[in-house]
Amino acid sequence: MTAGHLVLPGTRGRRLVDAIARHRVAAAVAGLLVLPWVMPYQALAVNVLVYGLYAVGFNLLYGYTGLLSFGHAAFFGAGAYGCGIAISRFGVPWPPALIIGTAFAGALGAVIGGLAIRTRGIYFAMVTLALAQCVYAIFYQWVSLTGGENGLRGVNAGRLLLFGWQLDLIDPTTKYYVVLVFVALALWLVSRVLDSPFGAVLEAVRENETRARACGYDVRATKFLSFVLSALVCGLAGSLMAIHLSVVPIDTLNYTTSGLVVMMTLLGGMGTFFGPFIGAGFFVVVEDVTTLYTDHWQLVVGTIFMVFVLFFPRGIWGVILQWLRP
Amino acid sequence: MKTQRTKIGSNRLAGPSRRKILGAAAAGAAAMAASPFWFNIARAAAETIKIGFPVPLTGPYGAEAKQQAACAQIAVDEFNAAGGFNGRMAELLVRDSKLNAGEAATRTLELIEKDKVDCVVGSLSAAVQLAVNNVTKTRKVLYVSISQSDQITAMPDYSRYTFHEALNPHMTAGAVARYVLPKFGKKVVFLTPDYAFGHELVNGYQAVGKELGLQMLDNVLAPIGATDFSTFFPRIQSLHPEVLIVNNFGRDQLNTLKQVASFGLNKQMHIAVSVLLYGQRLAGGPEIFEGVVGGSNYYWRLEDKVSSAKHFNAAYRKRNNGAEPSDYGAYGYAGTYAVLSGIKKAGGTDTEKLIAALEENRYDPYKGTEYFRKCDHQAVQSVLILEAKPKAKMSNQYDVFDIVEIDPADEKNLRSCAEEGHV
Repeated sequence: MTAGHLVLPGTRGRRLVDAIARHRVAAAVAGLLVLPWVMPYQALAVNVLVYGLYAVGFNLLYGYTGLLSFGHAAFFGAGAYGCGIAISRFGVPWPPALIIGTAFAGALGAVIGGLAIRTRGIYFAMVTLALAQCVYAIFYQWVSLTGGENGLRGVNAGRLLLFGWQLDLIDPTTKYYVVLVFVALALWLVSRVLDSPFGAVLEAVRENETRARACGYDVRATKFLSFVLSALVCGLAGSLMAIHLSVVPIDTLNYTTSGLVVMMTLLGGMGTFFGPFIGAGFFVVVEDVTTLYTDHWQLVVGTIFMVFVLFFPRGIWGVILQWLRP
Repeated sequence: MKTQRTKIGSNRLAGPSRRKILGAAAAGAAAMAASPFWFNIARAAAETIKIGFPVPLTGPYGAEAKQQAACAQIAVDEFNAAGGFNGRMAELLVRDSKLNAGEAATRTLELIEKDKVDCVVGSLSAAVQLAVNNVTKTRKVLYVSISQSDQITAMPDYSRYTFHEALNPHMTAGAVARYVLPKFGKKVVFLTPDYAFGHELVNGYQAVGKELGLQMLDNVLAPIGATDFSTFFPRIQSLHPEVLIVNNFGRDQLNTLKQVASFGLNKQMHIAVSVLLYGQRLAGGPEIFEGVVGGSNYYWRLEDKVSSAKHFNAAYRKRNNGAEPSDYGAYGYAGTYAVLSGIKKAGGTDTEKLIAALEENRYDPYKGTEYFRKCDHQAVQSVLILEAKPKAKMSNQYDVFDIVEIDPADEKNLRSCAEEGHV
C-alpha cells in the first residue's frame, strides 16, 4: 500500500498542477489579482509585483539559460533611473517613460551582455558584477542628472486621462492594478518565449552547451538574446518601481540588489515559472512582518534562507512540484 | 466519522494526495489568519492622533534612531498625560526604515495608506528623508524631518507640507566657523565624507568663510564607512593647517578622532568637528576627544540656562535610570512636540490648518524658543558650540562637554529664501 502511494501519487493534485502549468500566465494573474487583499498593505503588494517580475527576468537567464549573473541590479536600476529621469527631469508622461526605462535597460543589457557572454562560470559572474559596479559609479557621480547619493526624487506619475478614464496613481489600488497590467504582459511574453523553439534552445544550452553547439545552434547568439531579454524584463520591473515609490534610491543599483534577486530566485525555485514570483513574495512578506516584531529580522531571514539552501535546494515551488508530481 | 473513513479507504489512490492538499489548504488558511492583514480590521479609535515615525532602527545609525523613537514617545506621553487635545489621544507608530530610501518610501506609503496617519515625523540620513518627503508631499501629508539636510528646505524638494526641525549643514558650519576661525586660525583642512551631507557642510563653510577670511588649504574626501583615515594624515600634516575640521558623522567620526589622537595630530593643530556627537563621545572616552570643539543642536547641560531643557532632561532621566538624552534623541522629541503643539494651536489635525498654525507657532520644546521660517519651513534655532572636557574636569560620566558658545537663533544665519529658490 505504501509502495503504491509512492509510485502512483494522487491524481487530483497532479491534475491541478498540470492545469496550472498549462494556463500558467492566467493562474499567475488570478493569484495576483487577489494579492492586495491578503497582503498587510497595498504598497507591499506592489513590491511583490515589482520584485517578482525582477526575479522572473533574472530567472530567464539563470534558471533557464544557466548563466549566473551577479550584476542584475544594473538593469533593474537602469530601468528605474531611465524611467525616473524621463519623468522628473524631462516631464515625460509615465507610459512612454516606462518604455524609455525598459529600452534603456535593454540597451545596457546588450552592452554588458555582449562583453560578459565571452566568459563562463565564475568569470561570467565576476564580469557582470564588475560592470554593474561601473554603472553604479557612473550614476553615483552624475549628481546633476541622477541626484547622486541622495537618490532621484520627483518621479511623480500623478494622474493620466486614458481613453476618457482617469487613472490616478496616487490611489494605492489603482496603482496596484496598473502595475499588474504590465507585469501580466511581461509574464505572458516570458511564457511565450519559453514555450517557443527558442525557449527549448535556452534549456539545451543550460543542459549541455557543447551538445547544443553540435546540434547546430548558435550558442553565443542564444546567450546574448537571453541576456538582453532578461535585462528588458528587469528594466521594466525597475521602471515600475520608480513609478511606485516616486523616488529612485541609489541603493537600487547597489550589488546588494543583485544579491537579493539571486536569493529570491533560489528561495522560490530556480528554473520554474512560478518559483521566482513565489520567492520574491515570500521574501518581501517575511522581511516586512519580522521587522515589526524584532530588530534582528536579518537573523530570521538569513536562517530561513540557509534552511532552504541546505534542505530544499529546489526552492518553495520546486518542493511543491516534487511533492505533487514526483 | 466512520463513513468518512470508508470513503477515503475506497479511494485509496487519491486519498493521501487529497489529504496533502487539504493539509496544505489548512496551513494556508492558518497562515492567512496569522498574517497582519487581520489587524486592518481592528482599527483604533477614530479620534486618535496618529504620528508616523520611520527611523533606521537597524543599520549603522540604529543607536541614534532608537534614541529618537524613545524621545518622541516622551513627547507623545506628555501630550496624552495632559489630556490630549479635546480628549483626543496621540499615538506614535514607529517603523524601521533600515537606512534604505526604498524601504523608507514603502514604509511611509504603509503609514499613509494603511494606518492613515495624520502626519509623519522622523528619518535619519539625507537620502532617506528626501525619499520620505517626496512620498508625503505628493500625498499632501505633513512631514517634519529631523535629520540634517540643506536640500529638503530648498527647491525643488521643498513643499508646503515639508517642515525641517533639525539644524541644517549651512547653519551648523556657519556656527562652527564663527567660533573656530577667529579663535584658532584661518588656515583650514577639511576631512569630509564623500556624500551629500559632507559636501553641504563644506559649502556652508565656504559661504560663511568668505567674510571670516577662511583659507581652505585642502578638502580631503574619504569614502563613507571607511575605517582607516590615517592614510590621509601625511597629506594633511604636510599642509601645516592651523585647524583640521572633521565632517564625518557617526562611527566614522569616532574612528577618525581615535586615529587623530593616536597619531598625535591633535598636538600639531586644533581639531574641530562639525557635528560633535554626544553618543560617540560616550563610546570613545575622554582621552580621544579632549580639547575637540564642535557644533551641536543640544547638550543636556543647557539645563543650567534653559528651563525647557531641564524639563526634557528630567523626563528622559526618569525613564532611563538617570542617563542624559542625546542630541539626535532630542530631535525626535522636538519634531513630535512641534507637531503636537501645532495641533493644539490649529484646533485639530486638518493639514491646511496645521500648516498655518506651524508657520505662526513659537514653541519651546527643549532649547529655547524656535519657529519655522515661513518661506522654507526651516526651524530657526540656536546652535551650541561644545568643547570636550578632559577626564579630570568631569563631574560624572555624562558630564562630557562644556558649552563654550551659543550661536543665537537668527534668520541671518540661514541661507536666504532667494538662494534656496523660493520666490
